[in-house]
Amino acid sequence: MSVISCRNLWKVFGESAHTDLSRALQSGEADYASLVEQGCLPAVCDVSLDIARAEMLVIMGLSGSGKSTLLRCLSRLLDASSGDVVVDGQNLGELDKKGLIDLRRNKMGMVFQNFALLPNRTVLENVSFPLQMRGQDRHTRRARALEVIELVGLAGREDYFPRELSGGQQQRVGIARSLAIEPDIWFLDEPFSALDPLIRRDMQDEFLRLQEMLGKTIVFITHDFDEALRLADRIAIMKDGAVEQIDTPDRIVLQPATEYVARFTEHVERARVVHAGTLAEPMAASVAQGDTVLETATIHSLARRLVNDTREHYVVVDEAGKAVGQLARSAALDVLLGSEGGAA
Amino acid sequence: MKAKQPSRAVRLAQVCTLVAASVSLASTASAQDSSDPIVIPIHNWNSQIVMSNVVGQLFEKMGNSVEYVSTDSQAVYESVRLGDVTLEMEVWEGAFGAAFREALDKGGIVDAGDHNAVTREDWWYPDYVAELCPGLPDWEALNACSAKFATPETGDSGRFLGGPVDWLKHDQERVDALGMDFTVVNAGSASALWAELAAAKKRGEPIVLFNWTPNFIEAVYPGSFIEFPTFEAGCDTDPALGPNPDATYDCANPPNGYLKKAAWDGMAEKWPAAYATLEKISFTNPQIAEMAKLVDVDELEPEDAATEWLENNEDVWSSWIN
Amino acid sequence: MSASPALPAVGGQPAKASWILAPSSANTVGLGLILLAGALVLLKPWLPDALVRLPSLFVLPFADALNWLFEFVKDDLGFVHVTRAFAGAVEWLLDVTGNLLYGKNRWPRLEPIPWTVVAATAGCLGYWLGGWRLALLGTGTFIWVAVLGQWQWTMETLSVLIVAVPLAVLLGLCLGVLAWKSQRAERILNPILNIAQSLPHFAYMIPVVIFVGVGPKAGAIVTIIFAVPPMIRMTLLGLRKVAPEVVESGEMCGSTRWQLLRHVRIPTARTEILIGVNQVIMQSLAMVVLASFIGMPGLGQKLLQLLQSLKIGRSIELGITIVLLAVMLDRLSRAWAMRQPVHFDKGVPWLQRHKVLVAWVVLCVGFYLLAQVFPLAAEVGRRQALTLSKEFDAVVDVFLTFVDPVTLSIRAFLITSVLIPLRDAYLWLPFSAVVIFFAGLGWRLGGWRSALICFAFVGLISMSGWWDRAMITAYMVSFAVFLSALIGLPLGIWAASKESRARRALLACDTMQTFPSFIYLIPVIMLFGVNDVAAIAAVIVFGVVPMTRYTIEGLRGVPTSLLEAADMSGANRWQKLTRVSLPMAVPTIMVGLNQTVMFSLFMVIIAAFIGTQDLGQEMQRALSSTDVGKGLVLGLCVAFMGLLVDHLITQWGARHARTAGVSA
Repeated sequence: MSVISCRNLWKVFGESAHTDLSRALQSGEADYASLVEQGCLPAVCDVSLDIARAEMLVIMGLSGSGKSTLLRCLSRLLDASSGDVVVDGQNLGELDKKGLIDLRRNKMGMVFQNFALLPNRTVLENVSFPLQMRGQDRHTRRARALEVIELVGLAGREDYFPRELSGGQQQRVGIARSLAIEPDIWFLDEPFSALDPLIRRDMQDEFLRLQEMLGKTIVFITHDFDEALRLADRIAIMKDGAVEQIDTPDRIVLQPATEYVARFTEHVERARVVHAGTLAEPMAASVAQGDTVLETATIHSLARRLVNDTREHYVVVDEAGKAVGQLARSAALDVLLGSEGGAA
Repeated sequence: MKAKQPSRAVRLAQVCTLVAASVSLASTASAQDSSDPIVIPIHNWNSQIVMSNVVGQLFEKMGNSVEYVSTDSQAVYESVRLGDVTLEMEVWEGAFGAAFREALDKGGIVDAGDHNAVTREDWWYPDYVAELCPGLPDWEALNACSAKFATPETGDSGRFLGGPVDWLKHDQERVDALGMDFTVVNAGSASALWAELAAAKKRGEPIVLFNWTPNFIEAVYPGSFIEFPTFEAGCDTDPALGPNPDATYDCANPPNGYLKKAAWDGMAEKWPAAYATLEKISFTNPQIAEMAKLVDVDELEPEDAATEWLENNEDVWSSWIN
Repeated sequence: MSASPALPAVGGQPAKASWILAPSSANTVGLGLILLAGALVLLKPWLPDALVRLPSLFVLPFADALNWLFEFVKDDLGFVHVTRAFAGAVEWLLDVTGNLLYGKNRWPRLEPIPWTVVAATAGCLGYWLGGWRLALLGTGTFIWVAVLGQWQWTMETLSVLIVAVPLAVLLGLCLGVLAWKSQRAERILNPILNIAQSLPHFAYMIPVVIFVGVGPKAGAIVTIIFAVPPMIRMTLLGLRKVAPEVVESGEMCGSTRWQLLRHVRIPTARTEILIGVNQVIMQSLAMVVLASFIGMPGLGQKLLQLLQSLKIGRSIELGITIVLLAVMLDRLSRAWAMRQPVHFDKGVPWLQRHKVLVAWVVLCVGFYLLAQVFPLAAEVGRRQALTLSKEFDAVVDVFLTFVDPVTLSIRAFLITSVLIPLRDAYLWLPFSAVVIFFAGLGWRLGGWRSALICFAFVGLISMSGWWDRAMITAYMVSFAVFLSALIGLPLGIWAASKESRARRALLACDTMQTFPSFIYLIPVIMLFGVNDVAAIAAVIVFGVVPMTRYTIEGLRGVPTSLLEAADMSGANRWQKLTRVSLPMAVPTIMVGLNQTVMFSLFMVIIAAFIGTQDLGQEMQRALSSTDVGKGLVLGLCVAFMGLLVDHLITQWGARHARTAGVSA
């Protein structure tokens, strides 16, 4: 069952956007180019997607592709021009002010690119801000905030002010704040883009650790394809407001749906992305016995085996040790070394 | 503590006398003054400020509360009329007669009697100018040496430095009526008059300017008024009067204008005792000059000057408050 | 970026307008109008009278209309009861602060706070906000005040400011939020603020006298009215500047609209809002002297009394006090605005965390007890006070003796050869030529809209019936601005060449700007006499300040990388100044010029106290006869002149930015 699902979502900016869009939708010829021609700025065009519970969907796109706008429609920071967003069975567009505030106070958390901390409040006060909005008393607020601060590794800095912290630390505060109300749904808008490369990597690890622990439903925005590959369960690649492809990292790398997606995957080291499970074929009767391969292992991690173990096929098993398919050595080597004529 | 004690003692004594007074007053069933403060306006010349403080301190001796507020000396009549301020101690016939009369016509203000003082406002020169222009203070002698009073902006004719235009003097009319070779230049404020006077004195330049008495400036810069053709009542309205049969204003300003007190018409009802005192109060020219001198020459603050004056002149005011 | 014909049409603009907007035609129409104005000037002897001065038929009785309107609002609508009730509330507050600060006989009827306690408070506040320097400034100011025996008057002044400033801040904050929330409110407020900020101080006072009366309450209210506009603008600016992300973060935390405003927007706009508070304080101090015309007690009132009896030395003492108060409050409030929160490490004891607070409490109690024993610690009486008036008098005297021969010799030349011909020339100009000239200039700089705006400003002045007076004001202001620029620009360039010198020059600018202008009217009269030279000299003393300040700021703002590039290209100092620094600084310098015009217009009205024949003299008359309509019409004439110049300079700046790619 999907936690968030959106159907035919449109968001168009511009003075006459509303009328232009509804006219175009009625005549059935709404598309990016025709709307631009009418002087509108379409940011999200006819997007439909579903996000399952505890899934991490990464929305990837270059600047101006509409990914941030899409996120803001999913959280209803922006009202969609057309289409529906349903969160946990509630249609966002139909919620009144109070309903929306309740939803945010109880179910949603969001992390921002430039941290968006309140400069006049300490770390503790920033983190307990959503709890304060909810009207919780000072004592409960403090206890919960300290818990989350501990979780993001900032214990001992509760009394610091944002400007006294480094960028990475500030974003930890942002993360802690978004987690304070124990949201089911977690939105992250390019959370690591403003950080230095080294810190970014640390933060990604930290983030993966948190996600493993908390298991939230996540929508994560980035313009960094590597980051997307590293974190995502599924990636949605956006261009000109539309989703070009939405799929697992492995499949995006192996089977890019469009020219545009292919250009991103060109320079990716596939072996580090593709998992054994992805390449596995249905089990044939004549599979040789011997060491099995874990389905979550990347091809890169199997490189030594592929060279030394010359069997045609390996058995692929899941975490429980149950066989799920077989991996052809040649296919794996193709990924590892690049197929003939493919990019190096 | 030492310095404080007397003032506290005085205050205590005041309270005692007040209580005593009110008891005695109650027995005679006389109307009592309101406890609201009497608002006394002060302007920007010292004799008026000291006089207002003297009167204020008298009222305080009588047990009233008093407050001072600084206002424009022309606009004050509107405020008296509305009851925003309670009284005005110096209504000069020449300077404020018009504003006072206008307020009287509108209603809300009453004439609280004259001081035993005369005021004079006219052309004036400091003493050293007499040597530069023989024959002064006669106006014809002044006219004869008009060239000596010339300045760059007046060309060949002499300059008469008048007061601000809103003092509504008729210097230009007089110059025309008497055929004088003078141009009237209006200073923008009394300060401007004194600044020019001080500079002229420093340079030893001749100067003739607007001045009045009683005024502190007499103490700092001795001088005399120009003697114009004698004032006759109606000279400002009837061309036939005065030396020029075809013009008005061909004579001096009245040499003995009144100096009045004015009050809000609700004062008599609200502070009957204070109003009775106000009606009795009358200062003379020398007394006013003395008040101004305490501040302008002896450098006392107006409040202190008022206290000092009251100490030295008990025989003058004691009859007013009973 | 050439204007393509299709683009404006898409934006919903009428297609007709596009040719007018095209830059080339704007230049020809504008130039045509300017040439027409020139022709009108040349043909003046043959012009019909109606083109020389507006026929009286078209001079509209604005003053009567305004008077009628005020009467109607005041009496028929009973608005006066509202204002008087409000004034009553303000008066109650003033009574409380008056009692606490100088022992006014009102509730709560306590003894006045001893001066030592006030000085200690200022010191602690200064230390807390900005360390030892500010502590010294705070304490030093109050010690100066007490030792010179000015305590009573200073406290009278402060008792009004303490009430007026918070009220102005509150009002400004509310109106700022309103303008931010509602486009319509902003659209109504904006022109009002523009006019209010260019209206001479006196024009405010007459309505206040009518609606509120005279006295401290009137002083407080006129101060509030005068100080509110910058607060509104800074609030609006601050709220606009809050990053959208921060607002979104607040929304995602489930804030209601009120919570968002209260907890997110206003705290995040803190710096701008506090700069607004700083502006309110400075504006209030600028009103200290002027507001005493309608009953504000304290330093201003005393200052005018002293000047009236020609006591320059003592008035300089008071002037210094006003400057010290202004500089102190300015630095304190700016330190407050710039203050960044700092955390205490864990385990720092309470006493250490609150050491300033503790020190303050200890000092207050200590001095309070001391004051009970030694009255000198409670109040320095006037007789015990020191005075420097003799010394100041001597300095002024030496200065006058030294400068007098110089000024005396140029005075005659200036009057007969420069000023009188210039004034006559301004008066000689046909009004039609002036109107058309400014319309043409507007067209050239900003297209037909600007032309219309300029036409309206100048046209309204001619319809007010005060054309000749306005031309005299214009002549004095333009000549004063010219000389101010001539002095201020080189002064600024000289000061900006060295960092330490620049800082000292800026401090001098601060001082000049807050020093009560009435004091130097007197020496100026002594040097030049009652005439236009004195008035213009007084205006220049004031007008040079912004010119110098903005030249320094502009030159200091030139990016170092550009100067380094010039150095590497082998430019010498002169080339660097003329080819790199000055062109880069031009937009800032133009802002300075704009300010100079504004300052000059304000000052020329005050110069009426010297004796002028311009709008200022009439304004003075209107004030003393409480003629609201006349006062406002005169004030609006001055405001329109200021707005005209402001508009032209802004348009020029926008054009300059477009063509040169330099942002103003």
